[in-house]
Amino acid sequence: MPPVKRKASGSPAKSGRVSTTSTPGPSTPRSIDSDDDSDSPDEPVENEEQLQKVVDRFSLATFRNTTAHQEDWTSNRFFKGGRRDFSYLPLKPDFKSRPIWIDPQRGRIILENFSPLADQAKDFLITVAEPLSRPTFIHEYALTSHSLYAAVSVGLQPRDIINTLERFSKTPVPESITSFIGSCASSYGKVKLVIKDTKYFVESTDPDVLQKLLKDEVIGPCRVKGTETVTSAPSMGGLVIPGTSNAAGVQQAQLKKDEKTQPENAEGTKAQDPYDALREDDDDDNQEAVHAFEIYDTCIEVVQKRALEIQYPMLEEYDFRNDDRNANLEIDLRPATQIRSYQEKSLSKMFGNGRAKSGIIVLPCGAGKTLVGITAACTIKKGCIVLCTSTMSANQWRNEFLKWSNIRPDDIALFTSEHKSRFPGNTGIIVTTYPMVTNSGKKRAHDSQKMMDFLTGREWGLMLLDEVHVVPANIFRKVSHSIKSHAKLGLTATLLREDDKISDLNFLIGPKLYEANWMELSEQGHIAKVQCAEVWCPMTAEFFDEFNRQKKNRSLQQNLYVMNPRKIQACQFLIDYHERRGDKIIVFSDNVYALKQIALALGKAYICGSTSNNERTVVLENFMHNPLVKTIFLSKIGDTSLDLPEATCLIQISSHYGSRRQEAQRLGRILRAKRRSDEGFNAFFYSLVSRDTPEMYYSTKRQAFLVDQGYSFKVITSLTGMEKMEGLVFKTPQERRELLAKIVTDTEKSDDKDRDDPTDDLFYLQSSNKRIRRTAGGLDDLSGGKDMAYIEQKKGANKALKKKPAQSNAFFKKIAREKERLKNQR
Amino acid sequence: MATGTNSLPQYLEQLPGTTFRKLYQQPSTAFAIFRRMLPHMAKTIVMAILYSPTPFSLSDLDLWVKPTAAREKDQAIAILRLLHIVQPQSLALTANFKNSLRLALEGGGDHNSFGVPSTEPIPTEVDHMFLDKYARKKWDDILHYVVSATGITNVQTGSSGPKQSVKDLLLAGRLVERRGAELTITHIGFSFLLQEANAQVWALLLLWLEAIDVANASGNRSDMDSVDMLSFFFMLASLEFGRAYSTDALTESRRNMLPTLIDFGLIYIPQHNTHQFFPTRLATTLTSNETALRSISAGFSAATSSTSDEQDKCTIILETNFRMYAYVHSPLQIAVLALFSNLKFRFKGLVSGRLTRKSIKNAVGHGITADQIVAYLSTHADEQMYRHAAAANKPVLPPVVIDQIRLWQLDTERISTCDGYLFKEFDEYKEYKAVADFAENIGVCAWRNDKKGIFFATKVEQIKDFMRSRRKANEGNNS
Repeated sequence: MPPVKRKASGSPAKSGRVSTTSTPGPSTPRSIDSDDDSDSPDEPVENEEQLQKVVDRFSLATFRNTTAHQEDWTSNRFFKGGRRDFSYLPLKPDFKSRPIWIDPQRGRIILENFSPLADQAKDFLITVAEPLSRPTFIHEYALTSHSLYAAVSVGLQPRDIINTLERFSKTPVPESITSFIGSCASSYGKVKLVIKDTKYFVESTDPDVLQKLLKDEVIGPCRVKGTETVTSAPSMGGLVIPGTSNAAGVQQAQLKKDEKTQPENAEGTKAQDPYDALREDDDDDNQEAVHAFEIYDTCIEVVQKRALEIQYPMLEEYDFRNDDRNANLEIDLRPATQIRSYQEKSLSKMFGNGRAKSGIIVLPCGAGKTLVGITAACTIKKGCIVLCTSTMSANQWRNEFLKWSNIRPDDIALFTSEHKSRFPGNTGIIVTTYPMVTNSGKKRAHDSQKMMDFLTGREWGLMLLDEVHVVPANIFRKVSHSIKSHAKLGLTATLLREDDKISDLNFLIGPKLYEANWMELSEQGHIAKVQCAEVWCPMTAEFFDEFNRQKKNRSLQQNLYVMNPRKIQACQFLIDYHERRGDKIIVFSDNVYALKQIALALGKAYICGSTSNNERTVVLENFMHNPLVKTIFLSKIGDTSLDLPEATCLIQISSHYGSRRQEAQRLGRILRAKRRSDEGFNAFFYSLVSRDTPEMYYSTKRQAFLVDQGYSFKVITSLTGMEKMEGLVFKTPQERRELLAKIVTDTEKSDDKDRDDPTDDLFYLQSSNKRIRRTAGGLDDLSGGKDMAYIEQKKGANKALKKKPAQSNAFFKKIAREKERLKNQR
Repeated sequence: MATGTNSLPQYLEQLPGTTFRKLYQQPSTAFAIFRRMLPHMAKTIVMAILYSPTPFSLSDLDLWVKPTAAREKDQAIAILRLLHIVQPQSLALTANFKNSLRLALEGGGDHNSFGVPSTEPIPTEVDHMFLDKYARKKWDDILHYVVSATGITNVQTGSSGPKQSVKDLLLAGRLVERRGAELTITHIGFSFLLQEANAQVWALLLLWLEAIDVANASGNRSDMDSVDMLSFFFMLASLEFGRAYSTDALTESRRNMLPTLIDFGLIYIPQHNTHQFFPTRLATTLTSNETALRSISAGFSAATSSTSDEQDKCTIILETNFRMYAYVHSPLQIAVLALFSNLKFRFKGLVSGRLTRKSIKNAVGHGITADQIVAYLSTHADEQMYRHAAAANKPVLPPVVIDQIRLWQLDTERISTCDGYLFKEFDEYKEYKAVADFAENIGVCAWRNDKKGIFFATKVEQIKDFMRSRRKANEGNNS
């Protein structure tokens, strides 16, 4: 096998700034990821040398042992010259009862899910490692610098991580892994940046580290003299996350006593994780003392940057209970609201020591990310800003807040292109969108500028970042600079991108606090069970001919395979079949041209980027409540944050190349299906691909993430009964040829103006490399004599001319009005 | 099985009666055939009539057999006739077979058919364990060669793969194939690998027999005779494991066979004493019956070391994400896995790989079929897979993966053909265009090339009529 091309090491953009501390070989994987990284175009990101240095330093590559081992002849032949042969690691005598293997080179952890210890091991691994694949029997995890950063930030000590790994491992934990963990942990989580009483403190349990920082030439001068303090470590103490069963008890107690003090003891909130035991040890350590010194708040950035440079990335924590300067917000979950166990688990990681840690929580679509966000806001009870991807989802967030919590409707305001309201009190919640707060380049309208000033002018307790994966790091930096918040919580279902743009989010927002297991949730009934299928549609002869002829013209090729008549037929057949079963169907197409054409051909409603908000609402309302509208067509804009619990079947006819995230996000649209708890209910996810076209290749890539989560795609090569269906479109060769001719002419005409919505990545930079295209062709081609049909482009043009006399000039209009007036006056 | 000649019964069936007569002259052969080739019912019949002075009548036999077992009886008789053990018409044993089998059972005679034990002292290092190790290494070398087919030097054991003669034999038997400079395994080779050790040995021996037959037919090396060889194999099978036998008692031609048998690992000859040979377990279990075949590997493992029970075992967990985790130690099994999967890494006792489109295509390209791969995966499926399948009431292997493997194979066989007629050499383009367009319109045109002016139609009648009427019309116009 050729070495898998890695994004990080393979990209020329980065090779220049690989720091000297790391020595990655040519095929050294540095960003440990799934095996199926697609070779997506690697656009140069903003130059972030410091960050890169840190990232490099903590890659496992630095610690790996490059010697090849030879067990027998197969080593050399099948395992990359022995470099992937770890059979030199001796098995422990009782290896059979231990569940994991550890790959000494890439930090992969293989877990036997059927082992009696598997559940404990899983709980532990999810804290210290990134889950890569979690199907039925064997799970794979990867130890990465990010995951260790996360582990350390929830209070695990390197010693404990290594010991626990040792306990679970079938082989002794390899040297490279222990030193990797040791080195990561020695500098991670040592230094915390805490805001207390509006003053910024640099905190550490290790006085030596603090001394080192103080002596630093950059950080030293930033210190406010005479502010060194020693306090005892914070603990979960009386903090109660609302919505948990424990909180319910607390509330009752409160009602009885009829007073607002929190009970002293809420020990039960601690999740029963194995690392809890470990953490208790830490608590002992932590009891020692926490040393801190204050720094000027003007210097925060300088200090943070410098700390990163000298390899002590700072954790941000928010001691919200002791924050008196920012007004408290009257907000609590409604009494009836109960949060689920995994939501509680994820939040307990965030509020593990009684303070709010910044970080990212990864939950599948439909598993209640919004509720997690709301609960976090209810726990902190301070001003909160929610950033989401679109106006639609901003509205949804606001409604959810009103639904789950007792916040006064006045206190929650919207800042979108349509609504620009503020809360009347001195604190509240603002829901806005990423574009609204980031398009600093363009000139803003007066009122939104004023709104921005309002946002930037105050301190927020919590910043909730919905669908955080759409935010590339550089954009996020912009947001975090302009809007000050104490804690940041990122929410997403799929923390992956085909490009490398979010790898730094871990350092910018905070570590990944929790990632749920899709399969487990679906088995417990929290998300719908889904049958996935890939339908292979052969290209019709005429389309395939044209497809092969147009090797150069990518956009035409794409239109051809997306609009393959067989595919449209399959789509029609599936829609018909599921409508009769009583399903509500969403059809997704990235290709807007195809979306429109197919929706028209099948007589269904569609929504794409150019659809007005009003029309969108009408269509969606109808889809949700009108029993006659069972199918809608959506472009990319429906990929994320669109909450349609009615939908139970999903058909995908065109998609964004090999994007694993899009696939997962789209699947997410049906995971929250209303009827999911019905007996034997299954949601359906179909992906239609044209055979022998790039779609086949991409579809395998796209499925990689879901397949690693344990989903399986059944391949359907022919739909029985499709040929016999009544009213099947494009049945005759004649119709197909007409369609072909139409596609060819339309594609030529529009070029790629109409082809793509500007993606659901809000900040996706479209490379504008429009070049002059030289084509060979006869005179009849050029004059339109060949295979060309005359189509009137602006059908209304003539009529319009007749109707409207040349009156467009304002001057003439004015005269006309004048005349009119005079006439009326008479 | 993919090829007919690979198994002993099929080989024997196609032998002529004269050959059998020759074969049955040896008591060991008769005995071996009796033991190995006959179903239980046939054995009973043979034993019943072996000492019967008069031919047995078929109607008497019917009385013995329950009516429900009539089919088995018919089968038994068919086999007995096929192997020329009973005479074609009546139910009497053929003379040679009768005499030989009686001799084999009673003992006596000077046929030396069961080998002549060597009287010389046995070297001290030769014991059961030594012989097993020796045979195992020899045989593994051959299997490794089939798998890797490059004859790479084995660094650890210092051997250099099988002898050239064996390699030639494998090549001739199309177990491996030469593709350019490299040798690759074929589907015959793959099914060979999936067989039990005993069947593998026979497959190789039969290949050898065929090679000799071919050589004899073309007129060279006539010192060996395939019938004599076959009976020598049967003789070897009747020898006692761990005992030394004299080479001097063998005939000249049989002595000539010894070097090849050494190459196969069937016998061992001490270097300093070429007058004695030791049959290994590979040889002595040649004619054990089907169930005893497994004991060959069991015997090996018992002999080699205590952990080697796991050495040979290979259990596979196949996930829905196309990852494959195999609990395996033996490099041979790893090599087999590598034939159809993309191996990722290896721990002691665990190998992880992935089934990809490419890896399956590769395997299919070598002639290994999807069904073979699926069969291999399911016979080696891990106990966990079974447990889970039973609990969830699902098939053992994830059906998605199995379907995909089949589809990947189908992907390699995409060309379909249809019968039809090629129309070419039209007088002028206009004529061509008209006819081709007509063909297209009535839906019989399968392919056309406007540049060259040719097209291919699946049906011809209507086109014929059309062309005739055109020509008539043209003639009408011209005149």
